[in-house]
Amino acid sequence: MNISAALGFLWEYRQALLIGLGNTLYFTALGLLVGLVIGFVVSVVRTAGHPLLKLVATGYVEVFRGTPMLIQLFWFFFCLPALLGVELGNVFSTILTLSLYMGAISSESFRAALKAIGTEQRDACIALGLPGRVSVPYVILPQTVMRAVPTLLSNCVTLFKESALVSTVGMADLMYQGQMIADSTARPIEILTATALIYFIIAFATTRIVTFYEQGYLARMRL
Amino acid sequence: MGGYTWDFSAITRNWDQLMDGLAVTLQLTGICTVIGLVGGFLVCLMAMSRLAPLRWIAVAFIELFRCTPALVQIIWIFYCVPFFFGVFFDPFLMAVLALGMNITAFNAEAYRAAIQAIPSSHEDACTALGLSPLKKTVYVILPQALLMATPVLLTNTIGLLQQTSLVAIVAIADLMYQGKTLATQTYRPIEIYTAVAFIYFAFSLPLSQVVGLWERRLRSRLA
Repeated sequence: MNISAALGFLWEYRQALLIGLGNTLYFTALGLLVGLVIGFVVSVVRTAGHPLLKLVATGYVEVFRGTPMLIQLFWFFFCLPALLGVELGNVFSTILTLSLYMGAISSESFRAALKAIGTEQRDACIALGLPGRVSVPYVILPQTVMRAVPTLLSNCVTLFKESALVSTVGMADLMYQGQMIADSTARPIEILTATALIYFIIAFATTRIVTFYEQGYLARMRL
Repeated sequence: MGGYTWDFSAITRNWDQLMDGLAVTLQLTGICTVIGLVGGFLVCLMAMSRLAPLRWIAVAFIELFRCTPALVQIIWIFYCVPFFFGVFFDPFLMAVLALGMNITAFNAEAYRAAIQAIPSSHEDACTALGLSPLKKTVYVILPQALLMATPVLLTNTIGLLQQTSLVAIVAIADLMYQGKTLATQTYRPIEIYTAVAFIYFAFSLPLSQVVGLWERRLRSRLA
């Protein structure tokens, strides 16, 4: 295969791929924002909440972690609007699915971080006579967030990758654009490889940041 | 709820078709799990090897498969492998290839984390006892790595079970594909998709309970 011809071919379709990438990033970013809020609230409810609420939160997390995202997507696209009898809109359904998925996986990260703070930290707070309003914001919360950051970032990468699934319900994300161009030009190799590389570059860069953060910052803080 | 009337006969009437799909899903999961458990350990050994080229290949393999969406990998392999190698395998075999390599990359990381957690005193003990590298790997490293990595390996298997639903997009008749077909045939997407989701969930939930149990046992053993 001729490399320069391949690059020239790709350059012709740069606009379409960029639009796809823009949509992918848009869906991922909104899913992230809403998902992190859901995840945090759910993890707090699961750690210390009313037993009934705890049950609901656990059920939510297990269902969303225990079923393929593809089926969740189909469910929110085809079943929920029919059940509610209202039109939800494609973008809304997409972001709803991604947010709920992110909420379920990130709640586990927050929970693990909450658990990982040793009891000696709490004991130290008591020994120093720190009241809850001091110990929570100054001792517990900063450590929870800092500990949760690496797994939360990997969750972001997971969400970014899973967002490729929205192409199956016809949302024009990077994967969808790639497949459309591949099908209409009958040159799948160049386009699909380029699509894969774009995903790779973004995901790989993020995982490097995670490693950097873990090895540098967290190691120095001895967390 | 929009006054939706449920009709579960769409599921009972087509139960056999769903079970045929489930059989394909479980076969795919089973075969790829075995590939992943063996392949993951081999790739992990390569990634930790002293030979630099071997290490580079393994690390590149791991990062490529971890940092691109599984959907992209499946589509890429389906479109591009026939082009590059001039062969077209049976679709099921292609799916096994794609999902098998994906899980191999994720499992390799799980093994690596577990091996790195083995205290270096064990390494010294092997040297002191004069164990050959092969004996050291098989009798000292592998058992401990398996024990420590089991929770992550099982979690990866749950992930694999869900990722197999992606093969529905390339028209392999798995559970998701049968669900999609039945949903359009019967005009009963809500009942069908909900049932499909529950079937996946019924397999994921026990597995995730086992993970929790194993983690608790590991922690109490190590404590």
